Amino acid sequence: MLKFLQERVNKKTKQVEALGAEDGAKQQDYDQVSKKQARVKELMRRLAEKLGKEDEGEGDN
Amino acid sequence: MRSPSVLAALVTAALVAGARAQVQLPGDGVLPEAHMPKVTPVQVQNPFKPFDQVKYQQAARALGATELQVKTFAEEAEEIGAARAGDDLLRKVFPKFDEAVLAAEDGEPKAALLLAKVLVDAESPVLQAHARYHLARVFLDSDDPERAIEVLNEYLTHNLNASPLDGEAAYFYAQSLAEVPMLDAAIPRFRAFLAWFPDASERLRSAAHQRILELERQRESRLHMLADGMKKTTRDLRKQKTDKPVQLDQETYIEELDTLIEMFEEMENQSSGAPSGNGPSSNPAANSALPEGDGSAGELKKRPSLADRWGPMRDSERKKIMADVQNTMPPQYRKMLEEYYKKLGKADRK
Repeated sequence: MLKFLQERVNKKTKQVEALGAEDGAKQQDYDQVSKKQARVKELMRRLAEKLGKEDEGEGDN
Repeated sequence: MRSPSVLAALVTAALVAGARAQVQLPGDGVLPEAHMPKVTPVQVQNPFKPFDQVKYQQAARALGATELQVKTFAEEAEEIGAARAGDDLLRKVFPKFDEAVLAAEDGEPKAALLLAKVLVDAESPVLQAHARYHLARVFLDSDDPERAIEVLNEYLTHNLNASPLDGEAAYFYAQSLAEVPMLDAAIPRFRAFLAWFPDASERLRSAAHQRILELERQRESRLHMLADGMKKTTRDLRKQKTDKPVQLDQETYIEELDTLIEMFEEMENQSSGAPSGNGPSSNPAANSALPEGDGSAGELKKRPSLADRWGPMRDSERKKIMADVQNTMPPQYRKMLEEYYKKLGKADRK
C-alpha cells in the first residue's frame, strides 16, 4: 500500500511540475501534493514505530 | 511489478504471524538529497570564546542601554543566565526588537518579517546576533529547518562571539540539521555543543544528550530514515519544489520500499511454517549459551541464525559492514569482528 501511495505522490508531483512550467500551478496544487506526501510519511512513521515496539518487545523477552 | 499491497500484507504477516519484522534492518537506508542547505563545516577547534560580559555590557551601553538596564542585566545574568538576560536587555533597548520577539513568542506569522526588519536595520553585530537567533528559531518552529540553517550560517559567519547566545545558536544549528534530516551532520554538532558549552543551561544539555541517542537510533532504522526523508520532501513540495532533484528523491523512496519489501519477504520465507513468535532478534546475545536460571518458563524457540540473515544481504551491504569494522574499530575489536563476520560468511555457504 505504501509503495502504491508513494507512486501516486510521485505521479502527482510530476503533474504539478508540468503545470508549474506552464505557469498554471497554484500554491493550492503544491499544498495538495505536499499533503499527500505527508500522509505517506505519516503511515511510514507509524509502521516504523509499530515495528519498533514489536522489536523492543522481542528484545525484552 | 510487485503488488502494491505486498508490503502491507507482509507487515501484517510479520506482526500477526510473529515474523517479528526488524526495524534495525541491514543496509544504509536512504536520505533525500534535493535542495539540501549549505552547512558550515564543523570546526575541529572550538571557534567559540567564553562569553565576555564586560565587553557585552560596553556594547549595550554604546547601543543606548542605561546604567540601570546594564545593572539589571548583570543581576539577571546571575539568576537566569546571560543568554536570557542579554535578550531581555536588548528588548528594553530596542522596542522594535521587543515587538518582534513578542510576536515570535505568540506564534504570530509576522514575527519573521519583524525580525528580518530588525536584522536589516541592525548595524551592531550584537543586535544582529539576537535577531538572527530569534529568526532561526521562528523558522525552525515553522518546520523550516533549511532556512533556519541559512540564518544560523550567517550567525556563525558574522556574529560569533558577539552575544551570550552562541551556545543556543550552536544547539539549534544541530537541531535544525537533525530536522532536515542531516543526521550525520547533526550528531557531531550536538557533541560539539556539549563539549564547547559545559555551562549551557541544563535544559539544553539534557536535550542534546537525548537527541544524540534518538538520532543514533534513528540512523540505524531504515524505516524511520525513510519517513524522515519523506518529511523533507513534504516541505520541498510545500515550497513549490517539484523539480528533478525532488522527483529523484521520490524515486529513491520507491526503490527503498522495494528493497524493504524484499527483505520482509525474505524474513517471511525464513519464518514460514515456524511456530508463532519465532524470528530473528535485533539484539542478539553475545554468545549462544542459554542464560543461567530457571529454564522452565516459556518455550524453547528456534531462531534463524545470524548467518541466515547475513546471507541474503547484498554484497555492497556486507562490504559496508566490513569497511566499518576496518575503519572504525580499535585494533582489538577489529580483529575480533573481522573474524566473526568471516565466520558468518562461511556458515552461509555451508
